[in-house]
Amino acid sequence: MLAKYVARRFFASIVVVLGVTLITLVLMDRTRGTYVPGIDLNPALRPEDIARLRADLGLDRPFYIWYITWIWGVLHGDFGRSMIDGSTVMSHILDRLPNTLELTGTAILIGVLISIPVGVIGALRHGSKTDHTMTVVSVAGFAVPQFWMGLILILIFSVTLEQHGLPWLPSSGAYSAVNGGDFIDRVEHLILPATVLSFFYTSTWSRFIRSSMLEVLSQDYIRTARAKGMSERRVVYLHGLRNALIPLVTLIGLELPGLVSGGLVVEVVFGWPGIGKLAFERALQYDYTTVMGVTFFATMLVIAGNLLADLLYGVLDPRIRFA
Amino acid sequence: MSRDEVADDKGFEQFEKFLEAWSRRDFLKRAGAAGAYMAFLGGAVEFLDACAGTNNPTTSAAKKGGHVVEGNFSDIRTLNSMLSSDTASNQVIGLMFDGLLNYKKNGDLIPALAAELPKTSADGLTYTFKLRPNLKFSDGQPLTSDDVKFTYQLAYDPQYADVSSPRRGDLSKYIKSIDTPDPLTVVITTTQVFAPFLASHALYGILPKHVLGSLSAKDINTAPYNTAPTVTNGAFKFVSWEKGQQVTMARNDNYWAGPAYLDQWIYKVLPDSVAVTNQLKTGEIDIGPVDPGQFDAVKTVSTVAMSEFGVPTFTFYAYQLDPGKPAGPLFQDKAVRQALLYALDRQSIVTAVYFGHGQVANSVEPPISWAYKDKPQVVVGFDKAKAQSLLDGAGWTKGADGIRAKNGTKLKFTMITNAGNKQRESMLTVMQQAWHDIGVDATPSLIQFPQLVSQIVSIRTFDMFLVGFNWAADPDVSPLYHSRNAVPGGFNGADFKNDQADGLLDQALNTLDRTKRKQLYGQFQDLMSDLQPSPVILFNTGIYGVNTRVQGTDFGPFNQFTQRPWNHGVWVTDGK
Amino acid sequence: MIGPSRVAELDMPGAAIEGSSTRPAQSYWNESWERLRANRIGIMAGALIVVFALIAVLAPVFSAVLTHYEPQTIDLSKTFSPPGSGHLLGSDELGRDTLTRLIWGARVTLGVALLTVAVSLTVGTAVGMMAGYYGGWFDDVLMRLVDTVLAIPAIFLFILMSILFKPTPVSLALIIASVGWGQVARLVRGEVLSVKQRDFILATRSIGARHLRLMARHLLPNVLPVLIVAASLGVGQIILIEAALDFLGLGIQPPTASWGNMLTNAESYFFHSVWLVYFPGVMIFVTVLASNVFGNAIRDAFDPRLK
Repeated sequence: MLAKYVARRFFASIVVVLGVTLITLVLMDRTRGTYVPGIDLNPALRPEDIARLRADLGLDRPFYIWYITWIWGVLHGDFGRSMIDGSTVMSHILDRLPNTLELTGTAILIGVLISIPVGVIGALRHGSKTDHTMTVVSVAGFAVPQFWMGLILILIFSVTLEQHGLPWLPSSGAYSAVNGGDFIDRVEHLILPATVLSFFYTSTWSRFIRSSMLEVLSQDYIRTARAKGMSERRVVYLHGLRNALIPLVTLIGLELPGLVSGGLVVEVVFGWPGIGKLAFERALQYDYTTVMGVTFFATMLVIAGNLLADLLYGVLDPRIRFA
Repeated sequence: MSRDEVADDKGFEQFEKFLEAWSRRDFLKRAGAAGAYMAFLGGAVEFLDACAGTNNPTTSAAKKGGHVVEGNFSDIRTLNSMLSSDTASNQVIGLMFDGLLNYKKNGDLIPALAAELPKTSADGLTYTFKLRPNLKFSDGQPLTSDDVKFTYQLAYDPQYADVSSPRRGDLSKYIKSIDTPDPLTVVITTTQVFAPFLASHALYGILPKHVLGSLSAKDINTAPYNTAPTVTNGAFKFVSWEKGQQVTMARNDNYWAGPAYLDQWIYKVLPDSVAVTNQLKTGEIDIGPVDPGQFDAVKTVSTVAMSEFGVPTFTFYAYQLDPGKPAGPLFQDKAVRQALLYALDRQSIVTAVYFGHGQVANSVEPPISWAYKDKPQVVVGFDKAKAQSLLDGAGWTKGADGIRAKNGTKLKFTMITNAGNKQRESMLTVMQQAWHDIGVDATPSLIQFPQLVSQIVSIRTFDMFLVGFNWAADPDVSPLYHSRNAVPGGFNGADFKNDQADGLLDQALNTLDRTKRKQLYGQFQDLMSDLQPSPVILFNTGIYGVNTRVQGTDFGPFNQFTQRPWNHGVWVTDGK
Repeated sequence: MIGPSRVAELDMPGAAIEGSSTRPAQSYWNESWERLRANRIGIMAGALIVVFALIAVLAPVFSAVLTHYEPQTIDLSKTFSPPGSGHLLGSDELGRDTLTRLIWGARVTLGVALLTVAVSLTVGTAVGMMAGYYGGWFDDVLMRLVDTVLAIPAIFLFILMSILFKPTPVSLALIIASVGWGQVARLVRGEVLSVKQRDFILATRSIGARHLRLMARHLLPNVLPVLIVAASLGVGQIILIEAALDFLGLGIQPPTASWGNMLTNAESYFFHSVWLVYFPGVMIFVTVLASNVFGNAIRDAFDPRLK
């Protein structure tokens, strides 16, 4: 049953992947004009150089030929080479992935650790002052533009502190140029971007947990459990929380593609060398291969995220059966 | 400097280069050039070190060790000198590779891997280079004329036609053959006299044949060497490249000019100029280009020294001159072109948009070039009345809406530039207002850089575009102004076609004598000052912030990116 | 902010309302309205948005009467004036008045947000209703299309589309809506599926009502609460997306003022002219906050169980 379900989802997702990559390619191809990726206004370039580089990149062929060639490569595990720098697309992705995972993973972890207690407390004492305060903070967190918050944090914790000779936090990059591997150094660089990103996650998720906790606590089986004389603590944590976490699992599952694009703005503001920033920069430069590679990768994550969320949903909520 | 002078001056040239590398030492100034020259002739670096120690113990002498972090907001693409075409990549390549020749600050050539400037044959077609003896790559293998030939073959030899080199256009056109009669001699024969040949093409980093020679042309495009050049010949050798983050380089002990002081040179990629400024302030980076808008913010920092100089970069706008294009007919009359320029208060643009860091341009050659003519035939200043009367005289009269028109056509057009470049955005806004004041309706429009390049080199439906151009040391400006470059792919997107201009540019390219060339470029500048097909707004300046712990940098107009003959002499006072 | 998190936000009201059975009666609307009126903070937030909207609409009047500057007027002799003298909220690098530009920026921000919501709702409702109502292969095809649209990392779509269509307020709204409609379609389809099973639809069908009529008269009123909630909660997120696109240089281009591009601009000068960073950010924050609070109030009003 489950296997059949997964198989069906798998075939549906092939269609989605093809659709996504094709749309991306067509959009790039339609907007590129005659631009040859990697070409600047460099007076040393001659017209014939530009024409030759275009041909070398295969850009003088129609896009569908290009697409078929690309798909053929992907089927053989070859994502091609960047049109800008000639490195393999896979090497770019693998270079950036750890940085992105470091940032997003940390932010998600912080988000989960803070939002669960905040959401539960909000639901248990709903209507109280604590609840109101937390609601206000999370509603505010939802409304702050990430890039602005990033700028303000840089202004305070990097520029201003440094100006006053106080200990400051680095504003850009994933680690210092010199002590690259140093754990403390990495943490220092992580603080500001992870704060911005997790603030957003925390705000969203704590609201969800609060709502679903409220909903669960009003369900019949909770009332039954209470009526049976189960301790309040057991009611809340065993029955209530378990069911209230279902939407959170879904949400985190849906956050998987956010590994690529969710942190993009934060990556750009903090110069974090992640996948989102890579894709953003390369899309602006029409690096077809890299953008297609990242798109493919990101789409797979979306599909996997959705599937994972659904499956976990089933595990956590026995009422759901896959058909 | 003419050919004849070169041979006589080679000894002094070499000395000068040496002096530049060592001039950071205070004692040299006191000891005088004579003593230094003697030390140089003696070839004894140790001697100088001893001098430094004994002469003046309080003077901070160069120390070995430590690192420098250079920040920039451009990411690099490749580390193969024959495949790169962007400034950032070339900059990192320049730290690891020397070419045959190099630039002095003023753009004059000095020998690098070559022992002296090349001898040019009487017909101007053949250049004979003598390499320094005992040149070695970082792996200890000898660097010989074979390596030089191999490097150039990648871009000119039909056998390597599949190598995706952006240099092939010129090199395959001008190089007839390269001969290597002995390991120290390289003879380059060109197909025709081409004045910028040395200044443009004798600087490419020489690649190791023993690493790349066995690869096919196609494989060279994708060689691991392009991202990890394990064997280099410059002041530094490759350690690692974390993409999007940094390139780490370490001292090359086999460097011909002696080992660098620094243990490491790190090139760090930052998101934007604000980050560069911020990290200069915090000391996270030691060297970085400073945006004019942040000059004051950096200048007040006691740990950062500023270095500012003119660069061969100008910012200009170009009128659509193709009468077949919608806006083409507007700009056919040079009175209109001149009038629009008269209406611009370019000094206030430099002051407001560039915070005073730039120079209003009277000419199409940069002031730091030997070919620069300060007062060309027509010097256009800010003169609104003149602008108005020129337009009136040309038949463009103001209508009821305040916009000038002629025969029912309004003087109305769109100006494009690339989004994300603050200065250019601001300039368009200022131009819009200035021209509105004289009854011209110009609308700014920002497009992404790839679309702008497409517009300039091929689509060409623009009315007017504004960009910057970065020139090399040679004063040849034909990429922008020669009709041959109006073909698709060329940079003469404005479709400026003028026989006289073509003639002057061609003649100047085929003349080796600098005095004669200067005269030709003078005439060309006169012509352009009158025709104004694409007026230059200003010449930009290069600004670098350098942490005071770093000594021995010597940025100059032509010594800021790839060509840094001084980089092996950089050291840090704290040894870190 | 760009990307899937918005999925969650738009999904929320759907999840909440699902199961609120039978076609909403007149009393349901009245009760909802009563509940909304009782929510003082919500009403205040709504009022604030109305005020902003008025300011946006009347921007020419405000800049003529209140600030005496035009948003585009430059004055190179008065660059970087601090807030106060002459310029209430200071001036920027070309001597343009910050307050005036903020007022004109409100037009862009609110205009884009409203248009985006309108387009996403219209397209999404149409697709979702048809998919849910007709079902079968038609549903499959439409939903795979929706899956595809939602699976493209939104940011690439935005980047490429903003290059394809030069970003004006209208095209920017269409660009953002090109992703937004997918969410709405999913939501509406789900609602239609659940409503469809109920007796009254079957009854209507059996007496031979025409498809279109059925959808318009019976399905639409049932999905309306979901749509209203989705719309009111979506506005804030759309403002954030629009601002982020402006900030990344993909949205409204200077010299047209928008809050997002004013911030990008300000970033270069934040070492010496901090107020340029503060004001546009505060405006975005306050507007989004008000929209969210108002959106929540609407949701609470329509679905009292969560209150």
